[in-house]
Amino acid sequence: MPEKNSPDSEPSEYAVYLRGEQLLQPGLLLLLARQPMHGYELIQSLSGLSFNQEECDPATVYRNLRRMEDDGLVRSEWQTGLSGPARRVYHLTTEGERLLEMMATNARRRREQLEAFLTMFTNTRLRGGGVPLKELPLREEEEEKT
Amino acid sequence: MREATLRILHAGALRGPLKECALVFQETHPGIVVSLEAAGSRECAHRLLRGEEADVVALADPAVFAELLEPEFVARYFIFATDRIVIAFDEYSRGQNEINRQNWMDILLADQTTYARSDENLDPCGYRTLMAWQLGEEFYCRPGLYNRLRNGCPSGAITPKSIDLVELIAQGRVDYAFVYSSVAVQFNLRHITLPREIDLSSPVFADRYATATVAVRGRQFGNTVLLKGAPIEFAIGIHRQTGHSDLAKSFLDFVHGRAGQAILENHGLIAC
Repeated sequence: MPEKNSPDSEPSEYAVYLRGEQLLQPGLLLLLARQPMHGYELIQSLSGLSFNQEECDPATVYRNLRRMEDDGLVRSEWQTGLSGPARRVYHLTTEGERLLEMMATNARRRREQLEAFLTMFTNTRLRGGGVPLKELPLREEEEEKT
Repeated sequence: MREATLRILHAGALRGPLKECALVFQETHPGIVVSLEAAGSRECAHRLLRGEEADVVALADPAVFAELLEPEFVARYFIFATDRIVIAFDEYSRGQNEINRQNWMDILLADQTTYARSDENLDPCGYRTLMAWQLGEEFYCRPGLYNRLRNGCPSGAITPKSIDLVELIAQGRVDYAFVYSSVAVQFNLRHITLPREIDLSSPVFADRYATATVAVRGRQFGNTVLLKGAPIEFAIGIHRQTGHSDLAKSFLDFVHGRAGQAILENHGLIAC
């Protein structure tokens, strides 16, 4: 059985999120790939990410961090200074790095699909918009089969 | 394990979750008794300053640790939960069918409607309520709102700790009260949430919150301290003079662990 979130495994539910509007977990992984942060900082940083259009609800962020820690994608430890409160700081794990790579690969693939769609859409509009579906170009493999 | 009593002095708003944490902790630590004592967080700190003993201290604002207890009484304290300010009421409150996050101030300031808050000198929920009112004045573009709300809340409707506000609503002595969301959830009170920009819940608005200030009694008699608004956080620490440091550490580990976090969440807090 393939290791969880390995390239050979089925797309994980984390990777699936990239297909929709939910970019919270990819955003958290991406921020933690830059540097370890505590939840307070992560919530502030998430709100500045241009691709994250969702409201940063603190409860949602903290619950996702716990879930990601349970799944081995991040780990946490207490950060204490000479004074002031100690906070739980999150670090990206090797498994989290691997999943982030997978997410980026999926995002690139998705971008190519969307670009192909937009190219076809633009061409259709330029031709007057009333192009019958049968005249639209097929994907290479479908053309080979016919 | 030898018999021992672990004394916890805590913010009143933490009564429900800490009581359940204590019960579960006792089950897994035979012979250990956990005793809980609740007060407003600033009152908790002043009790320690006056010599009251405790092993663990759990307060509704890390700033209270920083201002009054660190480092003489508590060396380290840990952020373990967050929350937000809401307006709680019940089915008998005047205007309860109309109130929402846009018109709440008009409902509260209407003739015969009464509302309550906790004492800013004793309880963080009290000064956080005043901060939310200040932030609301700017957010809703309602000049004078803060003073009108402050003047409209009589001294009899100002309680030592936020948990006391629940009783005022239950007894029908006030229509509305400003409490933590977790308190409203624990006592099954109806409530409306406020916009994130004013409810002190989100680090995203930390700079905005910091524009609100409230003066409270300081450590020395006659002194006042100016507190700035900040996202709500709860913190817990071990008293330096505890005779049960290992046991106290075990309790903190329990609260910070998944079992403790589940209890906090079940009581409406956001574990962090």
